[in-house]
Amino acid sequence: MAASDKLMSIRRDWRERDVRVVLAALMIAVATVATIALFASQLQRTLVTSASSFLAADRQLEAENGRPVPEAWLSEARSRQLETGQMVEFSTMVSGADSFQLVALKAVSNEYPLRGQIEYQRDEDQPRELVSQGPAPGEVWINPRLLRLLDIEVGDTLEVGNLELTVSGLLVREPDGGFRLSALAPRVMMHVDDVPATGVIQEGSRVEYIYLFAGEEAALESYHQWLQPQLEPSHEWEGVRDGETFSRSLQRAESFLLLGGSLAVMLAAVAVAVASRQYALSQRDTVALLKTLGVRSRGIGTLYLKRLGLWGVAGAVGGLVIALPLYWLLSKLLSDVLERSVDYQLDPAALVPALLTALVALFAFAYPPIRRLRNVPAMRVLRSQPGESGREAVPDLVIAVLAVFGLVWMYAGEVSLVLALLGGLGLLLGTLALLGWIMVLSLRRIRGGGNAWRLALVGLYRHRRASLSQMAVFAMTLMLAATLILVRTSLLADWQAQLPDDTPNHFLINIAPDTVEEIDDFWQQRGQPLDTLYPMVRGRFTELNGGPVREAVTKDEGVGALNRELNLTWMESLPDDNEIVEGEWFAPGDTAGVSVEAELAGKLGLRLGDQLTFTIGSEKVTEPITSIRTVQWDSMKPNFYMAFPPGGGLEEMPATWITSFFLPGDNKSALNEFSRRYPTVSVLEIDHIIQRIQNIVKQVTQAIEAILALILAAALVVMAAVVSATLRDRQREGALLRTLGGRQSLLVRSTMLEFALLGLFAGILGVAAAEAAVWALQFRMFEGQFQWHWTVVLPIPVFSAVVLALFGRWQLRPVLSVSPMLLLRRLE
Amino acid sequence: MSNQTDVQNKGRQQPMLKVSNLTHTVSLETDTLTILQGVSLEINRGESVAIVGRSGSGKTTLLGLLAGLDTPTEGTVELDGAVISTLSEDERAKLRAQRVGFVFQSFQLLPALTALENVMLPLELGGVESPARRARELLERVGLGERLNHTPRQLSGGEQQRVAIARAFASDPAVLFADEPTGNLDNRTGQSVSDLLMALNREQGTTLVMVTHDEHLAARCARQFNIEAGVLTEPEIRNAVEPMS
Repeated sequence: MAASDKLMSIRRDWRERDVRVVLAALMIAVATVATIALFASQLQRTLVTSASSFLAADRQLEAENGRPVPEAWLSEARSRQLETGQMVEFSTMVSGADSFQLVALKAVSNEYPLRGQIEYQRDEDQPRELVSQGPAPGEVWINPRLLRLLDIEVGDTLEVGNLELTVSGLLVREPDGGFRLSALAPRVMMHVDDVPATGVIQEGSRVEYIYLFAGEEAALESYHQWLQPQLEPSHEWEGVRDGETFSRSLQRAESFLLLGGSLAVMLAAVAVAVASRQYALSQRDTVALLKTLGVRSRGIGTLYLKRLGLWGVAGAVGGLVIALPLYWLLSKLLSDVLERSVDYQLDPAALVPALLTALVALFAFAYPPIRRLRNVPAMRVLRSQPGESGREAVPDLVIAVLAVFGLVWMYAGEVSLVLALLGGLGLLLGTLALLGWIMVLSLRRIRGGGNAWRLALVGLYRHRRASLSQMAVFAMTLMLAATLILVRTSLLADWQAQLPDDTPNHFLINIAPDTVEEIDDFWQQRGQPLDTLYPMVRGRFTELNGGPVREAVTKDEGVGALNRELNLTWMESLPDDNEIVEGEWFAPGDTAGVSVEAELAGKLGLRLGDQLTFTIGSEKVTEPITSIRTVQWDSMKPNFYMAFPPGGGLEEMPATWITSFFLPGDNKSALNEFSRRYPTVSVLEIDHIIQRIQNIVKQVTQAIEAILALILAAALVVMAAVVSATLRDRQREGALLRTLGGRQSLLVRSTMLEFALLGLFAGILGVAAAEAAVWALQFRMFEGQFQWHWTVVLPIPVFSAVVLALFGRWQLRPVLSVSPMLLLRRLE
Repeated sequence: MSNQTDVQNKGRQQPMLKVSNLTHTVSLETDTLTILQGVSLEINRGESVAIVGRSGSGKTTLLGLLAGLDTPTEGTVELDGAVISTLSEDERAKLRAQRVGFVFQSFQLLPALTALENVMLPLELGGVESPARRARELLERVGLGERLNHTPRQLSGGEQQRVAIARAFASDPAVLFADEPTGNLDNRTGQSVSDLLMALNREQGTTLVMVTHDEHLAARCARQFNIEAGVLTEPEIRNAVEPMS
């Protein structure tokens, strides 16, 4: 009985327009939060895995001092449920049939790679295969060009030190070979267990021990915490997030998702607040009647609290029902672009914020006006009592603002961000409403036009509070959409704008000075001209102003750069995408000075005029800093920390040349020809990396678009709630017009026109605001010129006018079909 | 007086309103509720008629049916020769725009429009040329020539009803329906508003159908009907002379 009562009551509730609005808003809020939470954790997992494959692990520990790390460190990692793996890298001479070659040798343990896969071929005419393990002991995989350099074939023997190994495959691509340009010599990969037998590694050999770790993010973090105090300066802990090329885009995308989600929730909360207030108003007569029948205030309170609980459950369930397929769809898209399966994990923890959101939305936004129902006097039955003055709504507002603050804080986890968001939104909405008001007023001055036009204007003016709040909310939504569309270029931006279709996707490294022109010609003839060729000298930064650099540089973060050999170059003109931030670029004829990359200069605390000494082999070069410049690391072109002028001390040093160029996928065969002719040149193929990054960014953008759709839905629910508030008045007016002889078509036209105008204004305001925002962004970040984006500017107001006209037509059905009898019935 | 007689003569040939055997029921979930039962009446051109009854007696429903705001379950309503129940909703709207005026108990002015604009509204809906001039004349006639640009909120109840009366006569209606026109006004204001209504009615030669429970106001009409439990009766035949004149 009690259960069927409840069922009845939610069914009866559903017939109430305001309840439907509350439920729709709750569902959107829950769906938004759940989708974002689920998808973000999925994205995080996928991206970390896919980015991790650049490290072949989640984290790497590099020991550059030529000594293995204590075994205890590894067993500690294993005891923390982390997977571990090991690599040893060193350069050595190997010999084939009867020639020798310097190679970059990499010995890997069975576990390598912990993340990602190795691409290899059984032989040159065999297809490429993806495998998850390196060569077995006794075997070796080699870079294909070694076949020609050593004049051997697969199946032959390769001598490494004292050990003879069988060439069992060709190494096409290693997962962690991505961006590192140090592999100048051709790669040979062997098993780590074979290393001692080669006898190559002696005390003092230049060898790097690299340890791989993979596992839960939390375990990795805590392990790092544990490890940190024991690390020596020559140890380097590397994570995906540090210095990964697309982490910036990714972070920005995450904040977009987060902020977009917060916005959808806020809009939904507003809808809940407005609709539940309407609902409470409509329930006052019922409550008064119940009171005359003897129900006490407490009973009234309980009754509505139960009802609210039911809504909460319905909203949460409905929201999850929307979220799950959405999440599935997004994950499917993700697996499509990554071309591999993605594991669907329904992380229950991810659903907590969603349910919490439903709870907060109900109790902070819906409950206060409904709670006041218990104060409705029974006397209302006999005599109409004055309605709410609006003063009661003030505490509601305070609670609502605090709740919004709390919610967004929960999502964003940063107070300043929340304050900025809320403050910015308040200011934006206020400005938009003000501008909207000016538009309505100025339009009202225009006389003439048909009846429908006049009635539409009257409608806008008559319901101005509703019109302006709807306009502001919708304008904000459109602004967001327009900004997103405009910024997508700059979001993909850093990527797609900087990585246009002809972005260099191959590097040529280790070009001997005397073959530079020849190689340039080679590619010129094949229609794939090379980018600028840069000389490259590897050297260590050893002294600062005459003293050892390790003593001069006190900052910890700088140490990594000091451990590494830096790529030094000389160049005549500043690359297009570099920018001088301090000092001046070399004047023609200058032979002295060095230009330092800004971030490194900052880390090491270098200033203009500092004397830097580089050790190159046994030689030393000392130059003063004459300029500091920024570098676009993600430009996919050779970039250098240190640049010298031509004709300076560096030119005496042994250099090889490096360049990058774009090679379309259908021209790969030229690469084979090139490798045959210039076997000493390393070719680094990064096209797959670029492709993958572009795909991921695209995919994240799609996720953002999905969230945008939810925001749009939330905005429409807000509008529906606001329409509710004016519905009674509108019905009366509609009835009057019908009574005075207005046709239904007139009512339909004027209503649609009114909403179309609303949409048009909102569209114009939204687009203008978006242009302003993008302008500010461009001005601040890129100092670009302001451009109107006509293609965006034009369709959006039209789109919004059409959408809102249809929306108004749909929402105001009760008005359009109103019987003129209403006026006589005196329903007021 | 002669003018009125002419109209009445013409009216004898064709009544302004002819209602035969009107029945109106509302279906509820379990049974049907009869609101009007077998109502028949004829109202001639230029006549003034009061329908008096208690609330719930069906008088408002009858008014709505007479004015073509609703269609009856059974029976026919003929307004100026047009059978209302055969017209579509939009055709009825057009008929209202051309032939019918309304005065409501709660005035029903659009709050966003000025007095002038409110009066212009039916003129514009009827496609009348230069509606502003006609509206101004009417507002002057009802004594509000100085308040053309005031919105309803700036007017008293009596003034609002005067605007409503001006609006009702704006489209030069053949028949005017008034629903408790003084119901929301105090006695004195009500008196002056009903004076105005009667006077304008006479000047324009309009047929007036009024629903009221105010016996005094009803007594000023040429004919009176009582309605009780959906049944209409005409207690006595009176001559078509207004007692106050």
